[in-house]
Amino acid sequence: MPQPLAPKEAAQFRTIIRSFEDKQYKRGLKTAELILKKHPKHGDTMAMKALILNSQGKSDEAFPLAKEALTVDMKSHICWHVYGLLYRSVKNFEEAIKAYKFALKLDPSSAQIQRDLAILQVHVRDYQGYIQSRTAMLQARPQLRSSWTALAIAHHLAGSLTEAEKVLTTYEETLKSPPSRFDIEHSEAVMYKNSIIAEQGDYQRALDHLDTGAKHNLDRLAVLECRADYLLKLGRKEDAVKAYRLLIDRNSEHTLYYEKLEEAMELSPDDVVARKAIYDEYAAKFPRCDIARRVPLDFLSGDEFRQVAESYLTLVLNKGVPSLFANLKHLYSDSFKKDTLREIVEKYLTSQDVDSESKDKGEAAALYYLAQHYNYHMSRDLAKAHEYVDRAIEKDAKSVDFHMTKARILKHEGNIKEAAEMMNQARKLDTKDRYINSKCAKYQLRNNENEKALKTVGLFTRAETVGGPLADLLEMQCIWFLTEDGEAYARQGNTGLALKRFHALNNIFEVWQDDQFDFHSFSLRKGQIRAYIDMVRWEDHFRDHPVYTRVALDAVNLYLKMAEKPSANGTNGADEADALEKKKAAKKARKEQQRLEREEAERQAKQDPNKGGHTHTGEVKKKDEDPLGLTLAATTDPLGEAMKFLGPMLQVSPKSIEAQIAGFEVYMRRSKYVLALQCLNRALGIDAENPRVHEQVVAFRKLLDNAPSDLPPKVLETLKAEFKPVDETADLSKYNEAFQTKHQASPLHVLSAIKARLLLGVDLAKCEKEVSSLIEHASATFTDAVAALETLKTWRSKETDAFRTAALAKWPNVSRLSE
Amino acid sequence: MDIRLLTTADLPLIQHANLENLPENYFLKYYLYHALSWPQLSFVAVDVSRPRKGPYDYPKIVGYVLAKMEEEPTDGVQHGHITSLSVMRTHRRLGIAEKLMRQSQLAMVETFQAKYVSLHVRVSNVAARHLYEDTLRFRNEKTESKYYADGEDAYSMRLDLDDVAELAKRYADEEEDKDKDESGRANGGDATIKSEGVDEGEAVGEVGRDPEADGKERKIKVAVGRGLGVGDLVEKDESKH
Repeated sequence: MPQPLAPKEAAQFRTIIRSFEDKQYKRGLKTAELILKKHPKHGDTMAMKALILNSQGKSDEAFPLAKEALTVDMKSHICWHVYGLLYRSVKNFEEAIKAYKFALKLDPSSAQIQRDLAILQVHVRDYQGYIQSRTAMLQARPQLRSSWTALAIAHHLAGSLTEAEKVLTTYEETLKSPPSRFDIEHSEAVMYKNSIIAEQGDYQRALDHLDTGAKHNLDRLAVLECRADYLLKLGRKEDAVKAYRLLIDRNSEHTLYYEKLEEAMELSPDDVVARKAIYDEYAAKFPRCDIARRVPLDFLSGDEFRQVAESYLTLVLNKGVPSLFANLKHLYSDSFKKDTLREIVEKYLTSQDVDSESKDKGEAAALYYLAQHYNYHMSRDLAKAHEYVDRAIEKDAKSVDFHMTKARILKHEGNIKEAAEMMNQARKLDTKDRYINSKCAKYQLRNNENEKALKTVGLFTRAETVGGPLADLLEMQCIWFLTEDGEAYARQGNTGLALKRFHALNNIFEVWQDDQFDFHSFSLRKGQIRAYIDMVRWEDHFRDHPVYTRVALDAVNLYLKMAEKPSANGTNGADEADALEKKKAAKKARKEQQRLEREEAERQAKQDPNKGGHTHTGEVKKKDEDPLGLTLAATTDPLGEAMKFLGPMLQVSPKSIEAQIAGFEVYMRRSKYVLALQCLNRALGIDAENPRVHEQVVAFRKLLDNAPSDLPPKVLETLKAEFKPVDETADLSKYNEAFQTKHQASPLHVLSAIKARLLLGVDLAKCEKEVSSLIEHASATFTDAVAALETLKTWRSKETDAFRTAALAKWPNVSRLSE
Repeated sequence: MDIRLLTTADLPLIQHANLENLPENYFLKYYLYHALSWPQLSFVAVDVSRPRKGPYDYPKIVGYVLAKMEEEPTDGVQHGHITSLSVMRTHRRLGIAEKLMRQSQLAMVETFQAKYVSLHVRVSNVAARHLYEDTLRFRNEKTESKYYADGEDAYSMRLDLDDVAELAKRYADEEEDKDKDESGRANGGDATIKSEGVDEGEAVGEVGRDPEADGKERKIKVAVGRGLGVGDLVEKDESKH
């Protein structure tokens, strides 16, 4: 029960609430103090004060105060509500929900608390709780359509499709007259209901519903696509044909429509004549349609392929379309097509009537195609690629595209340094184009030139962002730059800045997750329910995006390295050298930090105060206390930190073998053997022949054989039962030799077998020699040499320098070998 | 290159394409705001033939159009607005920008009864202006002084959607015809429909201008919209920012 106030104070209390809502925090605090002067133990006022303090970023003060408020007024819904809001703001949703529930118990009629609770429930995917909340909210406000829609959403997300449909139907039945044809909320509600019917697999009913209820629906594309889909699923082939033809007429550049049309026409995949006829028909109907011309190349073969490819290539080369190769390279998995395409272009190049004057059409386009052909991994011959791209550049010395391809060829040679220089040359040919600017910066980062790259991208970032280009890239969530930047720092051994970037990226992903919060209520107001459902479902797995996996692996691998390093206070020579190096690095980092601070201060001083108004929210940016990541790098628990990245990755990307491999390494070091084995078994399921997995199998078998003392016998039994790849009685060394013999042709597999030998107790010097000799392996590439070099480096082998010299003699331009 | 409606899963890739190509950038929430407010209006160009890279492959987006409806049109006329349009440098000359725009405009008319579509373009961006003016037939309405954060002026352009409305009506008629063909299934014959079409505006100029006829497809990298992120999802007139 809130403590009652005299009328004057009650009015003041209302002022606090208003001040809070209007973000007039100072005023709110002042008013709160007035009340507290008279009633120092007034719980609600204390709670409101805590809430305002929290909004000002003073959560250290806010939490104790809110707790105190609760102790003085346990029965106040305001105190509990505030308590929940505080927890929500620090993302402790579980506690927040508990507090809201208490608050709601004390004041069951509060729409505000109910709403806050409901939103949090759907946010954390507590669908049963959400159904309860939405049911209560519907009972409170049944006149609002969105109350009904929200309850339907709750059932839908919880998987009760029939319930969801029932709720929508009940509302529809209350409508006395049909809403206006242009009522967008109604229009969407109809399509939403239709999607629920279809999700139940009842396509006949979905089709009938579409034909009766969605005839004039405002979302024409959705109606047409759903209808075509249902007709095809119901086997009404003729009608489906018509439906897909309507769709192709609207958008002739969607492969799926053609595929479905073929299916509806019941064309056998082998009936290439009939299939080709469809595409020809649309190529004639839509002269500028690309798909109708190109897709037949996917299914034609032999002379027919040659013929069609020739006319397609001639047309596109004559026009000089730069994406030609990108559009055709998927055909290269068929070696006949790969060779035929090359032959056609070579023939085109030497034919009489080809345009040899143009800078980008005819001959120039053909040269460009061939340069890309020989640069592509399935048809690679980099010497030839150079030859063709140089001839193309002769045609147009100012072509960005040609220089860009030249840079790519250099990169494939391993010559990252010259590749970066070439990309910069390409950039200078069109300084107004951000695409080439981005590519240039990326190559500079690959070449470990962090500062230079930042300057490059700085030509396009917003000049007025406080904190310079990096701050703009962070604010705009420029994932690619931060990833490449972090990886470059990691390569150079700058653990602090590398971790800084990886954590920044992790934060961005967290922001993406939080972003959905506002839409739980926003979408109900807007009424675009299908899009909302699509978002909720995506948010459940968005970290399976390859960029997250890449960053997570980068971070985990770096933490593993940190865990590997002996402590700096060790006594042997290597450790002392380490400590010295660390000291040096710390000194350098301090200087760097001072420089950054100085620059920032100067920049701010120069800024025109009148132009500062572009920080639209007016929020004060918090000062970054650790811009160089020194605190991050100083962690004493790298493996614990690694879990922050590993956990989500393993959860959403279990099919990624790299994720499982990384998981095994972390869990082994943390002595979590059951989890390690789980990762290992999953990795084996994905690719049992993977060289890293082989190393891990050997390591795990050895662990079981040695049976660590901290392992309870029961657990050991389970582990033994679950570990299948090598029998307990088998000789592990022989097993390893067999693996090497089996994969003798692959340098990376041999490397893994050598590493496994070291693990099995073979002399280090002997293993080093074996690794060094990999350079003589018949099929060794420079990538293998880099892997071998990395291994020697981690072993701190004395062979390292000799190996490097030998490798560089064989591959003189490979940048990674000289790092 | 495939052209299709965007989904939520595309948004990070659209954001990536935007950051790689254009100086006007937004954070993900602003893309979400578009996708969840006007999901019918934004389209992507996707390289569907690219071989899959691993079990969690995402489509390669080579172009996109991010569009919205003006929430509080100052002239009281329903109209669409192009927030951002971009095509990768490596995928130019395929007419992708034009194809994306056409899909978006059709949806603006069909779903939201838009009468015209507007956009902003940097005065210095000659290539983008060429695309809008010559290929897409936008006309320059006025110059907005210091529209961009860096102080550059913008041309405010617009295109009347009468032609698109005509096209939408034609599609609707075709659907009707198809319904009548279908034996006994459709409950067609609703005579009031045609008079209720979306083209209730003034007489249509340039009827049937064949969009295929302007074959001048050139440049395709375009910057529109302004470089501010939307912190909160307040729906307000852009000019107030």
